[in-house]
Amino acid sequence: MSDDMIFSPLAFRSLTLKNRVLRSNISGRFDNEDGSLTQTRINWETKFAAGGVGGIISSYVPVLMEGRIIAGYATIHRDDFIPLWRSLGEAVHAHGAKYIVQLSHSGRQMDLPGVHNQHQPTPSSTSQPETLHGFLCRAMGAGEIRQLVQAFARAAWRAREAGLDGVELHAANGYLFTQFLSSGINDRKDLYGGSLRNRARFLLDVIAAIRETVGRDFHLQVKLSAVDHNNIIPWEGKGNTLADTVQVARWCEAAGADALHVSTGSLFPHPLNPPGDLPLEVLAVTYDAMISSGIHGFRNFLLFRYPALRPIFRWLWFRLKGDRDNEAISLNEARVIKQAVSIPVISTGGYQSASVVRGALERGDIDAVAIARSLVANNDLVEHWRAGLEQPPRPCTYCNKCLLNAPKNPMGCYEESRYDSREQMLDEVMSIYRTRGALAIPPVDGAAA
Amino acid sequence: MTPGAPITAVEVELARRRRWRRWIVAAVVLVVLVALVVLWVVAGAALRLTDESTPRFDDPVEHFMHGSIGAEPASGLPYKLWAVLPDLFPEAFEGRPDYTAFGFLYDTDDPDQGDLPIGISRRRAFGVEVVWFNCAVCHTGTYRLDAEAEPVIVPGMPSNNLDLYGFVAFLLDIADDPRLATEPVLTAIEASGQSLGLLERVFWTNVVLPQVREGLLFRQVRLGPLLAEQPAWGPGRVDTFNPYKVVSLVPPIRPLTEDEAVGAADFPSIFLQGPRAGMSLHWDGNNPSLAERNLSAALGAGVTPETVDHAAIERVADWLLTLPPPPSPIETDDALAVEGRALYMDHCAACHGYLAEDGTYRFEGEHLGQVEPIDRIGTDPGRLDSYTPAFRERQLSDLFAGTPYHFRHFVKTDGYANHPLDGLWLRAPYLHNGSVPTLADLLLPPHERPVAFVRGFDVVDQDRGGFVAPPCDPDGTAPAEGFCFDTRLPGNGSQGHVYGTTLSEAERSALLAYLLRF
Repeated sequence: MSDDMIFSPLAFRSLTLKNRVLRSNISGRFDNEDGSLTQTRINWETKFAAGGVGGIISSYVPVLMEGRIIAGYATIHRDDFIPLWRSLGEAVHAHGAKYIVQLSHSGRQMDLPGVHNQHQPTPSSTSQPETLHGFLCRAMGAGEIRQLVQAFARAAWRAREAGLDGVELHAANGYLFTQFLSSGINDRKDLYGGSLRNRARFLLDVIAAIRETVGRDFHLQVKLSAVDHNNIIPWEGKGNTLADTVQVARWCEAAGADALHVSTGSLFPHPLNPPGDLPLEVLAVTYDAMISSGIHGFRNFLLFRYPALRPIFRWLWFRLKGDRDNEAISLNEARVIKQAVSIPVISTGGYQSASVVRGALERGDIDAVAIARSLVANNDLVEHWRAGLEQPPRPCTYCNKCLLNAPKNPMGCYEESRYDSREQMLDEVMSIYRTRGALAIPPVDGAAA
Repeated sequence: MTPGAPITAVEVELARRRRWRRWIVAAVVLVVLVALVVLWVVAGAALRLTDESTPRFDDPVEHFMHGSIGAEPASGLPYKLWAVLPDLFPEAFEGRPDYTAFGFLYDTDDPDQGDLPIGISRRRAFGVEVVWFNCAVCHTGTYRLDAEAEPVIVPGMPSNNLDLYGFVAFLLDIADDPRLATEPVLTAIEASGQSLGLLERVFWTNVVLPQVREGLLFRQVRLGPLLAEQPAWGPGRVDTFNPYKVVSLVPPIRPLTEDEAVGAADFPSIFLQGPRAGMSLHWDGNNPSLAERNLSAALGAGVTPETVDHAAIERVADWLLTLPPPPSPIETDDALAVEGRALYMDHCAACHGYLAEDGTYRFEGEHLGQVEPIDRIGTDPGRLDSYTPAFRERQLSDLFAGTPYHFRHFVKTDGYANHPLDGLWLRAPYLHNGSVPTLADLLLPPHERPVAFVRGFDVVDQDRGGFVAPPCDPDGTAPAEGFCFDTRLPGNGSQGHVYGTTLSEAERSALLAYLLRF
């Protein structure tokens, strides 16, 4: 056993990770339109497990079809998907990693609604369209909220039934939980709006319902945005402060959360999450997939498409980031939250350097890090650290091309400078499509139901 | 799904916004259209209301007779009203469709101005064409060499026909006449064939006619008592300064003293102003400045410091500098005239200049253009006394104050000025107040001069000089034509100026023979 804190196990209340590194939630459109997951997803998740991380937080997994952010992401809304998820879990477990399903609902932040959702505004806390893309939404009624609470509980139950290691509630980055939590978004006048306690009610109800459904021993963690920074569009309200989130973190702990996963920002993507560049020339060729998703889609596309207009968007985007480092961008906020609670706190935000992670862990600022992009760039980042390297030889450049390709292309690292050739890049991106078994022949006539 | 219906919620929303946008665009277009219409109306009204245009006449004679000097906006009558007054008040116009009853002259050869008399000009004010006096109203007269001849109009000679007193009294009289109410006037205007649009009718009903009436009532109140106090001026005469005092000055000078209250005098001729520069101008010689005298006269015609058209007045003034009177058509015996000339040179020329042998008048004389004290000249003091030091103070302090036209040269004199006698044959009746009908009468001792005579004729009396002016009885029946002028009334006295009256009859005949040639 190494003395390196990075490689010391992390014991949650009912789950232990072999080290302090989790693959943060990231995915591509690998799955079927009906929400069933595919071999590709298993391949995707497994390569991180093989890379040495202690745990994998699934990509965003909707608990209902109407809560997908992007059609083509696996869901966990049907019991008959349990075997599929079990297969995934087993594949990850085979490498000694744990698998935590991130239970999610997009609310109004629905990038690609797909045929299931394109015909209706998305359920949300509010009826005000999302500010950046103009995604349409409608404020849910209280009864609808209660049903949704149960949908989360059922999804958690499915995860447990699938033999997975825990669930994370995605209450960060602008998705439905954020839409309730954020004072910059939630404009409700009922029990779910107004005071912070009211705005947190939906999240806390879900925690309670999950606990009621799956019991006290199934790992449950909550991902929170430490600070909303909701004013990307300058006239929008700033949203929740760190103090608000500290309070919510305490409530989550009290309600039965086993850990907290700290990010930042009330939208996704956000200038501070994932931190890094925003190459608009990439958006110019991928954002077209989202033009019809929101009422501002075409306007945005024009802003990305025409170089003369790009400075407008750049100014809007980067004025919030200032000169913050890409790495450990939310560490300070995570530390504050950790000081306020007694459950483990996982920090995310550009981690890639061993010393940074090690330092944060050794100081007790946080208990673990969750990493997405740096692991997409180097699936075996952890092994580089273990080998004593500060960073992999070809580290993530924080170019965010992985992010900007997501609406249209397979998830992967599109930073050509990191590869010997474009072909090598494509080989790497496409590697997840390698099948691991024979394709089945559909039954003939009514021979099988 | 209906063909063509939006597929996604976003498309539904965008379609809804497009529909709204159409409404918004329609609303904006409507607002713009309404704004344009309002702008058009407002701009049209503004242009109309600020239009102060007046016809321009290139010919100086036309300009003198018909061009505006700026009297209309403050003092005038709307043209359309002017045109129907003869219809509304036929008794005052002796049943004629024009203003000849008051002695206004018509230049019937001028098709442009045919319906307005000489001396009446037009100018737009607040969108309404308004007419009123210019210089020619008082300074254009007529003569006939015999009663059968057509009158000859002479610009620059005194307006021997114009009964200004009668005209002003008529206007004051109708101020509160029911016929000047809105409906009768508008009815008359339309009956006369002049069209009034809907908006114009509203404007006339609510603004134009009430203002006209207001103005007339104001003058009725201010000027009426003064006119009632004065003997009728008769044709060819005006009280220059007293109406000023009670109408134009704010506050007015009231009450007038008995001495100053009757100041009527003859209209002067205005020929050959150039040689008169620096002389004591006006009957009492109270101002040596042609420009100030002109502007003062323009005030009398109705301009105000706000409305005056200086350029127009200066055009007239320039033209008058060299305007000669028509030569006298009266032929007299040469020998007699030579004899008369010698007498004239002895007795008259020092004060009045003389007519050279070549027939031109010479502005030469030791006392020419100077004021002769009243105790020496001895003529009627009414006009002299009407110009008071108090009035002079107000003239100098109030009128055109703060402008380059500020009056500076008026003085109070103690007599009447010795005026040049150019165009003498057209300037009857004689003396400043027109109290002596002919030159022959002027050479008679005052007590032999006619006590009452008829004014207003323009037939040249080729024997006695001046116009035919038969005697009349002021207490008896008024003459069928003309005005019976009573020299016994205040301001009308024919006393004084006894020069030549001691000559023998033969000498007077000789002198007359010479004077008839002026």
